[in-house]
Amino acid sequence: MKRVHAVIVGAGAAGGIVAKQLSSAGLTVVLLERGPWYTAADCRKDDLRNQRTTVLGNAFGPEDEGNPRVWIDARGAAHIVLPSEGSYQNNAACVGGGTLSYGAMAWRFLPQDFRMRSTYGAPEGSSLEDWPIGYDDLEPFYDQAEYEIGVSGDDSPTPFHSPRRRSLPMPPLPPNREFAILEPAAKRLGLHPFPIPMLRNSVPYNGRGPCMRCRWCVGFACEVDAKNGSQNTVIPAALATGNCELRTRSMVKEILTDNRGRARGVSYFDANGRLQEQLSDIVVVSACAIESARLLLNSKSRLFPNGLGNRYDQVGRNLQGHHYTGALGFFDFDTYDDIGPGASIAVTDYNHGTPGLCGGGLLANEFIRLPIHTLDRLPPGTPRWGPGHKQAMRAWHRRTIIVMGPTQQIPTAEGRVTLDPWVKDRWGLPVARLQGNSHPHTFEIGEVQAARAAAWLKEAGAMQTALMAGRPEIVSSGQHQAGTCRMGDDPRASVVNRYCRLHDVDNVFVIDGSVHVNNGGFNPVLTIMAIAYFASDALLRSWKGTSFRS
Amino acid sequence: MKALLRVAALCLAAAVVLGAAGVSGASLYYDSQHGAGCTSCHEMAAYVGGVHDSAHRSQNCLDCHDTSLATKLRHIAVHLGRTGPEAIRLRDVDVVSMTSACQKCHQQEYATWHAGPHSATYRQIFTDAKQNTQRRLMDDCLRCHGMHYDGSVRDLVQPLNATGPWRVVRAGFADQPTMPCLTCHWIHREGSLETKPAERISVAGSPVHDSLAFFDRRERMHFAAAELPLPQLFDGATPVKVCPDRRQAICYQCHAPRQPDTGSVAAAHHWGPQAGSGDDRTPLGVHEGLSCFSCHQGHNENARASCKTCHPKMSHCGIDVEKMDTSYSNPASRHNIHWVRCTDCHTHGVPRAGRAAIASGE
Amino acid sequence: MTRRQFMAAGAMASAAWAAGCSSHRGPWESLTERQAQTLAAICDQIVPADDYPSASQAGVVTYIDRQLARHYRRHRKAYALGLEQADSIGATRCGVRLAQASPPQQLQVVMAIEQQNAAFFDLVRKHTLEGYYGSPRHGGNRDAVSWRMLGVSQPPLLGRAQYDLSKGPRS
Repeated sequence: MKRVHAVIVGAGAAGGIVAKQLSSAGLTVVLLERGPWYTAADCRKDDLRNQRTTVLGNAFGPEDEGNPRVWIDARGAAHIVLPSEGSYQNNAACVGGGTLSYGAMAWRFLPQDFRMRSTYGAPEGSSLEDWPIGYDDLEPFYDQAEYEIGVSGDDSPTPFHSPRRRSLPMPPLPPNREFAILEPAAKRLGLHPFPIPMLRNSVPYNGRGPCMRCRWCVGFACEVDAKNGSQNTVIPAALATGNCELRTRSMVKEILTDNRGRARGVSYFDANGRLQEQLSDIVVVSACAIESARLLLNSKSRLFPNGLGNRYDQVGRNLQGHHYTGALGFFDFDTYDDIGPGASIAVTDYNHGTPGLCGGGLLANEFIRLPIHTLDRLPPGTPRWGPGHKQAMRAWHRRTIIVMGPTQQIPTAEGRVTLDPWVKDRWGLPVARLQGNSHPHTFEIGEVQAARAAAWLKEAGAMQTALMAGRPEIVSSGQHQAGTCRMGDDPRASVVNRYCRLHDVDNVFVIDGSVHVNNGGFNPVLTIMAIAYFASDALLRSWKGTSFRS
Repeated sequence: MKALLRVAALCLAAAVVLGAAGVSGASLYYDSQHGAGCTSCHEMAAYVGGVHDSAHRSQNCLDCHDTSLATKLRHIAVHLGRTGPEAIRLRDVDVVSMTSACQKCHQQEYATWHAGPHSATYRQIFTDAKQNTQRRLMDDCLRCHGMHYDGSVRDLVQPLNATGPWRVVRAGFADQPTMPCLTCHWIHREGSLETKPAERISVAGSPVHDSLAFFDRRERMHFAAAELPLPQLFDGATPVKVCPDRRQAICYQCHAPRQPDTGSVAAAHHWGPQAGSGDDRTPLGVHEGLSCFSCHQGHNENARASCKTCHPKMSHCGIDVEKMDTSYSNPASRHNIHWVRCTDCHTHGVPRAGRAAIASGE
Repeated sequence: MTRRQFMAAGAMASAAWAAGCSSHRGPWESLTERQAQTLAAICDQIVPADDYPSASQAGVVTYIDRQLARHYRRHRKAYALGLEQADSIGATRCGVRLAQASPPQQLQVVMAIEQQNAAFFDLVRKHTLEGYYGSPRHGGNRDAVSWRMLGVSQPPLLGRAQYDLSKGPRS
């Protein structure tokens, strides 16, 4: 197979952007994706089989057969878990990755999110750290992501937003009924509500039309192509350059290294299960936090006996995502208007500045719910089955508002990804083993946030509220997974440098959520995209034709 | 060598005999007792049961369904291999051929449908330069144009861009109808025999025929017209009176209104979905409250003879309503027949005599 | 019927029999008729009929039966054992199989199952509610009846935007 300049592993949020940036600059690129290129016709808005409700499996991968993981619970017992089960902490495996079916909230982190340790100090037992880069370094690339991928919204009503050079390219969607109910209540509480920024067309943009406001949003592929992911923006642009080749159903086995300790390409199983080698000058790993760590750990060789970039046992540590908490509010009038995407209003007043808490998180109303989502979200004391349950479904499905949000997770070095010594996937590769948990302070923050959500709902007129704040026995990572290949200046305490290049190997990059030092109190995708633009920019500046300027 | 050939020949002969026996047996099996044999395959039981309760109960399965050897062999392979989907259903190619099966008996309905716009083919819909340069083709197009087509729009038309030239790449589909009979009718359903309506019915609450149902592409099944939603619409801030005729709920599935667009006046005022938005054609003005079927025929959507149903030849103004300046007589008119109001022409107020006549219901 | 046709039909019937289409299975893919009746009785306590259909009337047994042959293959054994136990609890308490007991007796038996075999009951509860409130395409929630009960239209009315990209699109 012809040698290329760069191999990119994973065609998700970051991989797609890197592919487009490198191929536009004239580099030859092979983009490897283990899943297929799905369309909306592959799921058809199935309430039971999508990427959010997976009782009959994941619509956009991975499949339950042949893709297990191992979860070590708090008592040390190992469980083999399937991709459609919650403790798998799945993200989609397909062209577009999570961006094909996400809810598409498009948050910038706040400047404090990059300086968590110096702002708050690290709680004992945590691995809370500052980023080696600051918000100002990323701001131009946030802007680039917002304009190239396409974001609608308006954060002018709140002072609690990051400084931006210009307003978003599209106005927000018109408010839905929940917005109209929650907005005045938030203002009465002294908060600053505003429409949620979304990677979603509210008006025609980038050659595609606006959102049709249907009931099936998060977890589903968009049938009007109004949801902006890498599969309908940067990946087609990369392919159009003629420099990028996308190979789907291609599972990378390992990164190949030479005798001098530099990467020479990857070996992967193609769509027919045959082992292939693709040689390249650069390898970019963009497989999402759990799988990127797994690939580095699986890339063992004489020079790297513990896996690539893992000299100081840092790869796979500090796994994080988001611990979601919030509250249900039950109203004596209809709150449901059947207008998607449902999630419409947020406050960021609580992300920082609460005495005694290391950060906080945004609070927003939940995405539009399907009947299947209401089953266990009924007022406390509702019978679990029988006529009482059926009547409660009827009484409350249209009269509920959920306010919740991602709590800033306080990472620990013990919450981590390793390789399972026994369990293998369908290609015979050792699978990811998830163990440890977030720092308990995460749950304390979450409980405060849940109480705040309940207070907002009460102010909006809820007759009754119920808190949603558990203490899971696992790092809640899932689609927000991050942190496993931490970015830092110290090679002993991090995996990649500030430009996402491995400390150990100068032609291997990890560009995805893995490099997040912490994950903010926000959905992380826009930050992942900004980092992809930022790292691509740095890579191209140091590229001199066939190798790097030193 | 000779012996080997002889064995091979014997095997071949045995295969031919067995195959022939199997096929004739299968024919018999399918055809016996109005398809009772078909129910022996548990996959088919619900369908055969359904048709026995329907208007087509006197038909045999084979009167409408494909009986070719290839189909039978495929059915056997799927059944024995247990490779069927959760619920068996017609393939998209079967739905297309079903239209000619309907035609065999319903010749007049077929002819009127074929003469109207709802018989548009995949080529006409998906390679239309005006549409494709203004709006991008996407999977949601298939919800109304090609609901039975079983795949993604990217496997139907190429290229999916604004420059073209476009062509239908799915073999055999270019000249097939995007909205075949099974778009608005279902066959395997409970219900009584129907009589053909002698004439258009304009009164509200007309009976909804059991055969009327909309094929939902998402669920791959029909939903009865009687259960489909009718919209609550607004004209600006004012609620619109929508005729309760449930037959038109089928029309609304595709001729649907939209939520107010970003930047619109309606969005700024939190008004509900607006009459006339999207592909909605709910009548306003003088025709507010009428059903689609008050004017349009079901099968070819023709409304050419409809005015006479209600109007005297001369209107209250003394003008022939069919010759008034509306889109009825002139497609380029500013006055869309769906939304025309008295005040569109009577800009200084409706004359008193006319108003009195309207009020007294003459 | 000619003799030849009779032979051919016989050949087909035996082929069908060999493929496992024995008549006791009836319309079910995974369950026996008796198991299906017991399951229907349990499902109908979890979602009973009122002015809207019960679980089994809405096709939930079909949903579970189909999934036991597909995504829920791993639960087949639990169903076989659980349904047998349900019948034996029914027999002990009412003297008849669960499906033949009176509705108040069935409620008592299902409450006993919830006590004695919580894992099985939770499984059936979960699958019943999924079937009843999930997508009709999987066999339960026939004609989207539960969605209409909740006031959620199916299919919803979704209009098309009439934008024109050829007239200077944004971006």
